[in-house]
Amino acid sequence: MIPIVRRIVAARVPDRATADDLVQETLARVLAAVERIEPGMVEPYAIVTARNVVATMWRDQDRQRRHQHRVVDLRPPELPDEDVLAQEDRHAMAEALTRLSERERDTLLAHEVSGQDTHSLAAELGSTAGAVAAQLNRTRARLRVEYLLAADRVEPPTERCRPVLLALSSGDRRRQREVDAARHLLECELCARLSEPLMGRGRSRDDEVRVAVRVDADVVAARQAARELAARLGFASTDLTEVATAVSEIVRNIVRFADAGEVLVELLDSPRRGIRITARDSGPGIPDVQEALREGYSTYRGLGLGLPGARRLMDEFAVASEPGRGTTVTMTKWREAG
Amino acid sequence: MPGPRLFSILRQGSCLIASIHTALDDSQLLRFQQDLVETIGRDRARGVVIDVAALDVLDSFATSTLRDIGEMARLRGAATVVVGIQPEVAIAMVRLGLRTGVLETALDLEEGLARVDGRLAGAADGRRDR
Repeated sequence: MIPIVRRIVAARVPDRATADDLVQETLARVLAAVERIEPGMVEPYAIVTARNVVATMWRDQDRQRRHQHRVVDLRPPELPDEDVLAQEDRHAMAEALTRLSERERDTLLAHEVSGQDTHSLAAELGSTAGAVAAQLNRTRARLRVEYLLAADRVEPPTERCRPVLLALSSGDRRRQREVDAARHLLECELCARLSEPLMGRGRSRDDEVRVAVRVDADVVAARQAARELAARLGFASTDLTEVATAVSEIVRNIVRFADAGEVLVELLDSPRRGIRITARDSGPGIPDVQEALREGYSTYRGLGLGLPGARRLMDEFAVASEPGRGTTVTMTKWREAG
Repeated sequence: MPGPRLFSILRQGSCLIASIHTALDDSQLLRFQQDLVETIGRDRARGVVIDVAALDVLDSFATSTLRDIGEMARLRGAATVVVGIQPEVAIAMVRLGLRTGVLETALDLEEGLARVDGRLAGAADGRRDR
């Protein structure tokens, strides 16, 4: 288990000393929880914990950075290497600031550093306070992206990277869908890494769960996550089992046919209460979706009921697939009849 | 990582009782299948009772693995009975459209053992059974 945790943390945290601390923290948390974990689930639990620990660190750092100008220096005496790190941090921040437009930079600095409020900024710019605040939010989102890129000393490899990172940084879900952010993160290693601190930002949502899917065990983790979330809506146990079974069928396809994918489980409020599962992969895609939904379709050992079977268990079911790019299955079960 | 046992295979007379303790993923199911079929041969078992009461999901893969086990056990001369399928699981299996007709089932472990004993007695009694 330790090598896995170490690998996960090391992939996200470049600094070795910090990475070691986070690994220790993860193991401590897993040990503390070991009695509550179902047998056989310790490893998935450790993986999720490791990701959370890293995300929390980023979030805390980000929060500290944002609030830094507000504190009088209360920090403890600096460690020898802290100076170097702080210097790198300053470089990255300075570099990121130069990548903003002049107007963005001036407004941001006037607000964040000089403490000028949005009303007086709006008066100067001939705009409204609301518009200035929105502009400031966009600027901060851009600054976060540029800061991460500068700190990493990388340029995004594709033209899609910046729009995707920006959409994630601003937390704008509509924009994220427009640029197909989730798919891009599966395809682009750099963005997958940089997006971690960006996604950890903002209100933590307790009405959705994401499960990364690579190996067999992830199928079990995904269906258990779906069952647990659905249980909160008070679904009957028959419905819970049907949801878990449908998730099992669909997520297995990711492990079989695609190398990597992700399952998003969300609770829905409108048009009525329900649970939606989105399983996305960057695999070879399904050449003929209609054919795959037909009864008796089979491409692997088993009963060949993957898609049509899962469709029967859920209320709504849709498959979108693009050959060579991957497949997205979206399925919903409603809590009460419509 | 040697975690807690995922399943156990115990011998009782000429019978094996195979209990699955927790949700198994596909590769763990295949290991269960392999272990069980090997044990049937090694112990010269005549009957196998598979207890799946701990499973909250029996999807197409799990079901086909159970069917395969039944078939492999039959080829090795043992009768298989699956016991403990939960009511919700049964509903989901049927709605999923799984065909499980060839799998012999019983409500619980006790009934399963009685069934296997009956089959063995019947077979010894001039093969009335089948």
